[in-house]
Amino acid sequence: MKRTIDRSSENRTLGDLGPLLTRVGGIVAALGILATLALAFTADHGVERFFKSYTTNFAYFLSLSLGGIFFVVIQHLTGATWSVTVRRIAEAIAANMLLLLGLFIPIVFGMDIIYHHWTDPHAASDPVLAAKLGYLNKPFFLIRWGVYFLIWVVVSRFFHGQSVKQDTTGDIDHTLRMQKWSAPAIVLFALTTTFAAFDLIMSLNPHWYSTILGVYYFAGSALSAFALIAMSSMWLQAKGRITQSVTTEHYHDLGKLCFAFTIFWAYIGFSQFMLIWYANIPEETEWYLHRITGSWLPFSWGILIAHFVVPFLFFISRVPKRSRAFFRFGAAYILIIHWCDMYWVTMPEWYTDGIHFSLMDITLFFAMGGLYLVGMARGLGKASLVPEKDPRLEGSLAFENY
Amino acid sequence: MSAEHKTSLWGYLIEFETVDQLIHAAEKVRDAGFDKWDAHTPFPVHGLDKAMGVKRTILPYLVFVGGFTGLIIAIVMQWWMNAYDYPYIISGKPMWSIPANFPVMFELTVLFSAFSTFFGMLGFNQLPELYHPLFSAERFRRATSDRFFISIEAKDPKFHAEKTRSFADTLGGDAVEAVEEEDH
Amino acid sequence: MGTITVDRDDPIKGKPLVEAHHDFGSVTDAVCSVVEKPPITKAWWISFFIAGSGLMLLLAMIAYLFWTGIGVWGVNNPVGWGFAIVNFVFWVGIGHAGTLISAILFLFRQQWRTSINRFAEAMTIFAVICALVFPGIHVGRVWFAWWMFPLPYQQMAWPQFRSPLLWDVFAVGTYFTVSLLFWYMGLIPDLATIRDRATSGIRRFAYGLFSLGWRGSNRQWHVYERAYLLLAALATPLVLSVHSVVSFDFAVANLPGWHTTIFPPYFVAGAIFSGFAMVVFLAVPARELYGLKSIITMRHLESMNKIILATGSMVGYAYAIEFFVAWYSGNIYEQFAFQNRAFGPYWWAYWTMASCNVFIPQVYWFKKMRRSIPVMMVVAFFVNVGMWFERFVITVTSLHRDFLPGSWGFYMPTWVDICTLIGSFGLFFTLFLLFIRFLPMVAIAEIKGVLPQAHAGHGHEGGEH
Repeated sequence: MKRTIDRSSENRTLGDLGPLLTRVGGIVAALGILATLALAFTADHGVERFFKSYTTNFAYFLSLSLGGIFFVVIQHLTGATWSVTVRRIAEAIAANMLLLLGLFIPIVFGMDIIYHHWTDPHAASDPVLAAKLGYLNKPFFLIRWGVYFLIWVVVSRFFHGQSVKQDTTGDIDHTLRMQKWSAPAIVLFALTTTFAAFDLIMSLNPHWYSTILGVYYFAGSALSAFALIAMSSMWLQAKGRITQSVTTEHYHDLGKLCFAFTIFWAYIGFSQFMLIWYANIPEETEWYLHRITGSWLPFSWGILIAHFVVPFLFFISRVPKRSRAFFRFGAAYILIIHWCDMYWVTMPEWYTDGIHFSLMDITLFFAMGGLYLVGMARGLGKASLVPEKDPRLEGSLAFENY
Repeated sequence: MSAEHKTSLWGYLIEFETVDQLIHAAEKVRDAGFDKWDAHTPFPVHGLDKAMGVKRTILPYLVFVGGFTGLIIAIVMQWWMNAYDYPYIISGKPMWSIPANFPVMFELTVLFSAFSTFFGMLGFNQLPELYHPLFSAERFRRATSDRFFISIEAKDPKFHAEKTRSFADTLGGDAVEAVEEEDH
Repeated sequence: MGTITVDRDDPIKGKPLVEAHHDFGSVTDAVCSVVEKPPITKAWWISFFIAGSGLMLLLAMIAYLFWTGIGVWGVNNPVGWGFAIVNFVFWVGIGHAGTLISAILFLFRQQWRTSINRFAEAMTIFAVICALVFPGIHVGRVWFAWWMFPLPYQQMAWPQFRSPLLWDVFAVGTYFTVSLLFWYMGLIPDLATIRDRATSGIRRFAYGLFSLGWRGSNRQWHVYERAYLLLAALATPLVLSVHSVVSFDFAVANLPGWHTTIFPPYFVAGAIFSGFAMVVFLAVPARELYGLKSIITMRHLESMNKIILATGSMVGYAYAIEFFVAWYSGNIYEQFAFQNRAFGPYWWAYWTMASCNVFIPQVYWFKKMRRSIPVMMVVAFFVNVGMWFERFVITVTSLHRDFLPGSWGFYMPTWVDICTLIGSFGLFFTLFLLFIRFLPMVAIAEIKGVLPQAHAGHGHEGGEH
């Protein structure tokens, strides 16, 4: 039953799409930045608001690349065959870490606003905070982020670099080397993602603590990265690239992963909610109390329905997983709803009485999103869109779900 | 067979040694337009469904209905027992505490889905069926070990004792056997 | 594109799943002969005698408990939960590997699972039976145990669905039922194989009855495979839910050391971890004694050892995050609970747990260790010890010193506790020995499906493709 796929006439380079992406991304980013600046300097508390919206969007784009790293590393760790044809896209998503390092800089300048609870000089007078200022202080915070980014950049470059090198050498050693380093990489990934989530999200409310939060952030990251991989691949195919290499079968598997991680995300989210709701300990319950206050209550219900029920029902059948028209919609939906989730974990900590929407939430999304596109164009333009000489490529091409 | 039992032709059983032979033969039988026929294999052979033209089963829909029933039962049961029929406050929770009812809702959904899957499978396959004419064929014992078979039933409208026999001979099998069944 | 030729033994494609000399018939022979002509009757009888004695011990301890009351156990006032809950969680956890192998690895198309899934599923069922003993006997007035079920009786008081212990009843009950259905469904074609090979009328009747008249029809296989996939898809969230619900027993309380949000996934990882260790521990001697080395190969054992390393690391991750967040919380009760665990009167239990679960499995970073039979027996043994101690640490250390120093206490098991634990192993091994004596311990039909000649166009003997 082995299928043979004729890839002789297929275009597997980004080619002129690279400049197109860069141009579109650049324009969107420029417009986004201009609009953001205009709003930041004209609106009431504009600068303050800028940093808050910025944190939300940073958490979002960081999660995409973290999910990309996870995808790449886990494929090597398990020696997966099916995913080879879409792995290059994931490598490019992961390789955007360098861009995210640059995007981290505004957070450094906004710490006094974003993390005002514990950057406040009077924080030590709060006995609960006094106990944890050894961890929550500016220098240590920055050192930690330095370490995280060092690890993320090195890991993502390594896997992208080795894979690209193999395109020319065709040497199996690259695969073996990546396989070997995937195990330590996943350990580092788990620890850095967890602590990054603690630092970026949990410390917004420094009284609150939840051991599962790192897993929660990871679940959303992986889910949205799967959606982004599928989305990118479908866009490339619509533009006449990799038309033979990526088949319905690959989308089917990406769809299954979207389905599985929709459930996993809900499972982790429910675990956190259930335990805090049931035990009802003041310093923990506060976090959910913020999220059921005022207009946050319908928003929270919305997250439950839109982030779990809808994608669950959407992806449960095999039809949307195997139809590009459906899947395109589903993947875009996940990318949007994951942004809402990031909004939900960050914003209520600053606006405890209800939703305070700002246009900057959106303009910053476009600003960063535009830059993210430029970064992806760079990453994808570096080499073929498919790992040409991966020893598992043939298996991946012939792969079928049954 | 004892003398008072009359037997009649149930159908033909054709034996194959490899998967390839079986799939080729199955395609031929399918294209000849037979309806009441089957392949017998010691393990599920991939590609055979297509070669036989087997339609996708509707079992998943049955399972969905079963699971949904379980969910509704769990919701109604917990509401009725704890919030309506015998309400009392415990650990400061509302009478009808949906988060606390969620685990049982989930478990009953899965339980009912699993029952629908298992019993649905038995139902669609008409099992248990402890007696079947094929069991009287000695060679058929290897159908669960290392041989592959095709059976064509006499009940099929296209079946013809001699023509089908000569058709069976062309399928490339190692042996063709006429299987008898007792008349009722 | 230049083709890269990979030979069957290289690290990209891996070793063949079943050693190459097997064909369909020889797989049938290899597995069925264990049931038909048991090769090692004497060793089996000796093992059965020992396991049976353990079972008798369990029954005696339960009888003594029922006759005298819960006072024969070591539980006391601050530590109201002792061995019963520890053993319950331990045994439920052991079961999880079976479901993981049969369901999750199936969904992930990890074909190496086929040689060990039957074995592991059987283990699941027996482990859950062992687990179910404990909540049944620990309630004190056992004759009211049926109050756990939503049955109408004259007081018309219903079970309390806001209680995590009731969730347990539903979760573990569902888990047992679904595992049993899954296991039995997998057995149907293999029971038919034994039926068709049977020489005696009794065997033919017994195996024939339980194989339900299966005749390997492809129209049946079609529905069967779909049903198998559906059960796998149902069992996957189910297995996550079961140990999550078990973790809720602890984590919904506001007791430091019990109440922490990572408990559900952490319990699941730990359960899979201990379950795989148990599979290795049982599979190694079974494949040696029953000549199944060519079917349960070193590759299977190595894959399982990798999973032990992975899940052991997840458990280690949870320990570390728990400790960090206990400190980070700034809550003195949280902080004390964890200090007390590691350095209080139960320090030995804590460090036994940490060594066995986190440190010892790290040897599996080395391929040589993953492929050494003696090493894997030792590691598997320690992992099971460690996981039992994990539940002991969670249960006892959190309870014995709570918020009020005035009510602190100390818990030690009595001889009845210890004999009951030993007896539960007797129950487990008795059931297991009966299983390998009477049922095919390897999924025959599934193994055939992963042989190279099972696929069309395999192209031997002048195939016409």
